[in-house]
Amino acid sequence: MSWRGLVRRRYWDNERVEEMEAHIAHEIEDNRDRGMNEEEARRRAYVKFGNPQKVRERIWQMNSLGWLETVLRDVRHSARSLRHNPAYALLAIATLGLGIGANTAIFTVINGVLLRPLPYAEQDRVVHIDQLEKRTGSEPLGLSVQEFFDYRGQSRSFEQFSEYHSMLFTLLGTKNPERVVTGVVSANFFDVLGVKPALGRLFVASDESKDAPPVLVLSYAYWMKEFGGDRNVIGRVFQMNDRAHTVIGVLPPLPDYPDANEVYMPVSSCPFRSDPMMIANRDMRMVTGYARLKPGVSMQQASTELNAIRGRMIAAFPKSYAGWTGYSATLTPAKEELTHGARPTLLALLAASGLVLLLACANLANLALSRQIRRSKEVAIRMATGASAWRVVQQLTTEAAIVAVAGACVGLAITSVSTKLLVAYAARLTPLAQGVRLDGWVLLFGLGSSLVAGVLFAALPGLLAFRTRLTALQEAGERAAGSERGSRIRTLLVMAQVAFSFVLLAAAGLMLHTVYNLLSVDPGFKLSHVLSMQINLNWTRYKEEAALINFYQQLLSRTDVLPGVQAASISWKPPLDPSGQGMTGHVLVDGQVASPTTPGVTVNYEVTSPDYFRVLGVPVMAGRSFTDSDTLKSQGVVVVNETMARHFWPGQSPIGHRLRSVNSKNWLTVVGIVGDVRQFGLDRAPDNLAYVPLNQSLIQNATLMVSTRGNPLAMSSQIERIVHQIDPQQPVTQVRTLDQLRSQQLGTPRVTATLLTLFAAVALFITIVGISGTLALSVARRSKEIGIRMALGATRAHILSDVLRKGMGPVLAGMALGAAGALLATRGMAQLIFGLKPNDPPTFAEIGLLFFVAALVSCLVAARRAMTVDPLVTLRTE
Amino acid sequence: MGKRDQNNNDMLRGTLDMMVLRTLVLGDAHGHTIAKVIERSSDDLLEVEEGSLYPALHRLEDRGWVTSYWGVSEANRKARFYRLAPAGKKQLRSEVGRWRQMAKAIDLVMGDLLKEGGEI
Repeated sequence: MSWRGLVRRRYWDNERVEEMEAHIAHEIEDNRDRGMNEEEARRRAYVKFGNPQKVRERIWQMNSLGWLETVLRDVRHSARSLRHNPAYALLAIATLGLGIGANTAIFTVINGVLLRPLPYAEQDRVVHIDQLEKRTGSEPLGLSVQEFFDYRGQSRSFEQFSEYHSMLFTLLGTKNPERVVTGVVSANFFDVLGVKPALGRLFVASDESKDAPPVLVLSYAYWMKEFGGDRNVIGRVFQMNDRAHTVIGVLPPLPDYPDANEVYMPVSSCPFRSDPMMIANRDMRMVTGYARLKPGVSMQQASTELNAIRGRMIAAFPKSYAGWTGYSATLTPAKEELTHGARPTLLALLAASGLVLLLACANLANLALSRQIRRSKEVAIRMATGASAWRVVQQLTTEAAIVAVAGACVGLAITSVSTKLLVAYAARLTPLAQGVRLDGWVLLFGLGSSLVAGVLFAALPGLLAFRTRLTALQEAGERAAGSERGSRIRTLLVMAQVAFSFVLLAAAGLMLHTVYNLLSVDPGFKLSHVLSMQINLNWTRYKEEAALINFYQQLLSRTDVLPGVQAASISWKPPLDPSGQGMTGHVLVDGQVASPTTPGVTVNYEVTSPDYFRVLGVPVMAGRSFTDSDTLKSQGVVVVNETMARHFWPGQSPIGHRLRSVNSKNWLTVVGIVGDVRQFGLDRAPDNLAYVPLNQSLIQNATLMVSTRGNPLAMSSQIERIVHQIDPQQPVTQVRTLDQLRSQQLGTPRVTATLLTLFAAVALFITIVGISGTLALSVARRSKEIGIRMALGATRAHILSDVLRKGMGPVLAGMALGAAGALLATRGMAQLIFGLKPNDPPTFAEIGLLFFVAALVSCLVAARRAMTVDPLVTLRTE
Repeated sequence: MGKRDQNNNDMLRGTLDMMVLRTLVLGDAHGHTIAKVIERSSDDLLEVEEGSLYPALHRLEDRGWVTSYWGVSEANRKARFYRLAPAGKKQLRSEVGRWRQMAKAIDLVMGDLLKEGGEI
């Protein structure tokens, strides 16, 4: 009775047989020595030994595990019985597989994004520190270097406190000159995150001192992409910002947080951050803070302390914070920042897939119940002939477990096929998407939930059906087997299925409407035939304003004359840029300043060349657009959008009025009003947007947009050639059309809608099958009754309406329940939908109608069978 | 096999196991020799049933009390030889101890009756 024996019992059988043969041979020999003849010696030996077969059997049994034998027998029996009933087996496995597949797929994403710990040591202690001035806007302000020094110097809650900002710099020394996203950090930044280098070393305090030789740390992704993972990269020297930077280390793979930085440098290497002006000026906020809480310090304590420091800053520098009544320091856990974008969508999907699984369980229970009712005779006979109840339960559970394991296989297959798709989807929501993959937890989840669901819902209803076992033997018919209790449970199950799938359908309906609404939003600008490309100039080459003006002028004039080009413009960002952010600033309006201490109001800025509005087809409603004569030497001008015009100058024309940035002394005169555009997102109402002319506000990171007659992407190589003619070292990146930018914006709701619709379709399918299956069984069981009624004069219409009432009753009740549930459940979707309320009546009406028609059709199919009952046949069989 | 049956067998099985182990103290032996030695040394009072011997040998080996190997017997035939394992020696010691106690107990209960010529 050991595993060892079990595995090798065939071997032992052979061994013992051989051994016993040897024994008998010895015995024969002995007998012969005693003087017996050959035949007698042989006979005696065999007689003495007895039956070797019996010994073999005993040893064989010693080598077996009793319970395992039983299980194997049960498995064989169950498999056979499932094979004889393929319809049940297939339906049950498919139902369970779909439910498990949907759930496991979503769990895979949730596991990778929300559950898996970040690759940071003690992730819960890593926090982001920023500032907010609620009165002027909801965007974080950032910190000035002076403020950072105050917070770091005066706080006691943190083990490590680091500053951080991210910029684009040109890196020379690789194959091509490259613009790299550069994280500019304090030397202890990686101690804040708690990461160790994959190669070389990370920054130490001396790297941050003013005259330390500049050093670089590469991100893992950049190391792989640019250097193919070459370990000799350590010690290589690259030119950045006219200084030689030495690579000292490579980071391990990390999520793109705080930004998708390709390289990191200490703050002392950043020419902007190390400018004495920048360091001294309390009002120039270009950095932000990351810190590691001391063990045992709560978020609340740290936040209180930071805000006490903020209070002291206001007292010490009243001029800088005059009128800042909504000013606060904010503290956000890194984990939250990494996951908040994905959380609502993922939880909605988890809820949806959970409903699919519940529905699958209800259907499974229903299937098992009707199967058990049909089999109750078999079970009754088995029990009558001596099978213990426990054996029958074992048998039923084994069968359910087989279905569950098969269902898990189907489900995991669905999951593994969809994983790649899900990673791409999750990447839109969170930088943690790379962690999404099938792992042991996912497998465990899939198999575990399948087993629980399968065994619970396939075996339990079967047990319920046992209660009828005695009656089943007495009467040989459907009537006796189908207890009232069974059919009541089945009706309830159908009702539950209808309710669950109604909720899913409503959620899917809302999401589909959202996608439709987003598609039909008028963004306020032309989407087709506009090409956008990013041109980030190397600031060391283009320090002089004249050089910048010259570059842009040449680029625009040469692009303009290309055949097929309608207009070209330079701006900071294209509309609908995936970053979703513009340049913001606080402005003061001339004549509206109550006191000089009132902080300005936040507006968004866009920097544009004269043809910008023509390229985008944005109408100039009043006044004028910019011209080439708006230069650094001429009067400062600004064009505002309609929203901003209404906001600051309600009921009057803003043209001729003046405004200025709080940080600047120069007034800008409003010279024109343009139409509103959805600059930062299709689902975001137009903000206050002020346009300033490129030549009065020169930028080094720019977007070239070109409106073309033909396919815009076909023009891209010609335009890139122009850029390289002007400056052979100038990289061109992010070549895409505005249409592509819009599709990218729609991507997330589209995929969410697709997934929910898929879930809802699965749910609807399972439910319809459930409704018609239940009704069909009830019709079959009542065929005698129907026959008798028809014989007594009931018309077909009577029978039809009776059957329909019976079938549609639970459906309607389920729909009412589902609608009520959906009203509650869809409230959680408020963040995901656009252009409608979670209780959108048309959506609910549509879903109700769809459901009603589908259910009616499936009932009619069953009802037709009832009408074809021949009274003569049924009466005769009775 | 029923539960009660098994309990009953345990007694006999225990003594057979003990005697097999005892036999192997004298040296390695194959099944036929083991049976013969037990029978001879009991003055043929005990007959070892082959039907019990081989399952017993299998059990002893499974528990790691004896090890076995194929060898050549004194009759120049292939035979499976058994050797007492250290665990088997320990087992034998405890079996003997148990048996001695049992014998003593029975002896005390039965008293004079056990003596040759004792009368009821």
